[in-house]
Amino acid sequence: MTQQELADRVGVTRQTILSIERGRYNPSVGLALRLARTFGVAVEVLFEIEGEEHHG
Amino acid sequence: MAEHTEGRRLPPLPGLIAGGLVILGVLLSMFVAEGLLVVAGLGAFGPGILRELGWLKDQDEFQRQAAHRAGYHAYLIGGLATVLVVSGLRWRETNEGSAEWIMLILVILWMTGLFSALLAYWGARKTASRVLLTFGSFWAVFVIASVIGESDDTAEFLLGVLMSFVVVAPFFVLAWTAGRWPRRTGAALLTVSALFLVMFVAPQGASSLKLSSILVTDTLLLVPLIASGIALLRDEGSDDPDRDESDDDGAPPDVVG
Repeated sequence: MTQQELADRVGVTRQTILSIERGRYNPSVGLALRLARTFGVAVEVLFEIEGEEHHG
Repeated sequence: MAEHTEGRRLPPLPGLIAGGLVILGVLLSMFVAEGLLVVAGLGAFGPGILRELGWLKDQDEFQRQAAHRAGYHAYLIGGLATVLVVSGLRWRETNEGSAEWIMLILVILWMTGLFSALLAYWGARKTASRVLLTFGSFWAVFVIASVIGESDDTAEFLLGVLMSFVVVAPFFVLAWTAGRWPRRTGAALLTVSALFLVMFVAPQGASSLKLSSILVTDTLLLVPLIASGIALLRDEGSDDPDRDESDDDGAPPDVVG
């Protein structure tokens, strides 16, 4: 899936997806949930609090 | 998260219309009647007002947050500039050149908002790099055009072009170093800006009318350089020369309206 396709699916611009990936923008709860649903994973898989280790 | 993508898209229609109105308004005010500058104002502020009223819904949450932050920054800096200008005029007990001072405040407001939005979209390094490339390119064209206009002799022309590159080269060098050594580049930009202020801006005339007109030009030059320098100094990334930020589509933010 391209960034543009992901952006179209969740209803934002590609720039927004890029900013989220770069850590320059923290999405709203609604957008975070839509992203997680698109990938079929829990929100915690996509996002974590900085400094905390992710235990898989 | 996702694959990097293909080509760029056109800016959204409201942004194109707003940009067109700004350009049209400026041209009309220069060649038809100065009062037609209001057309530029409609382009600059109309879309934002329509968005806040809920009549235009063309931005996603990231764009709205960037616009709100840019507006807050413009309010802070523009407010400070307004207080300084009004205080200065009252201190000198004059309203001479008020229109030019108001234009200066508008320029400061607009540039602060624009730069804040650019930082939100591109980050400090890419914003500073592109600002410097733009400055260098414009200055190169201006200097070469001046040389062509003033030189009759080929040797003199070539020497003029060579000298112009000496003047322009630092912009391109700093544009390159901004991506690799942001803090050092930021310090260099602030130093150059301070020197420019001391050597060129401070000695300029005492007449308020002349000063305000000159300051508009100086503001257009200095504000991007100073803002770039500060942004680079605050860049939280490491001074990693291999860091690559070329993934974004580079499309400018919709900052006109």
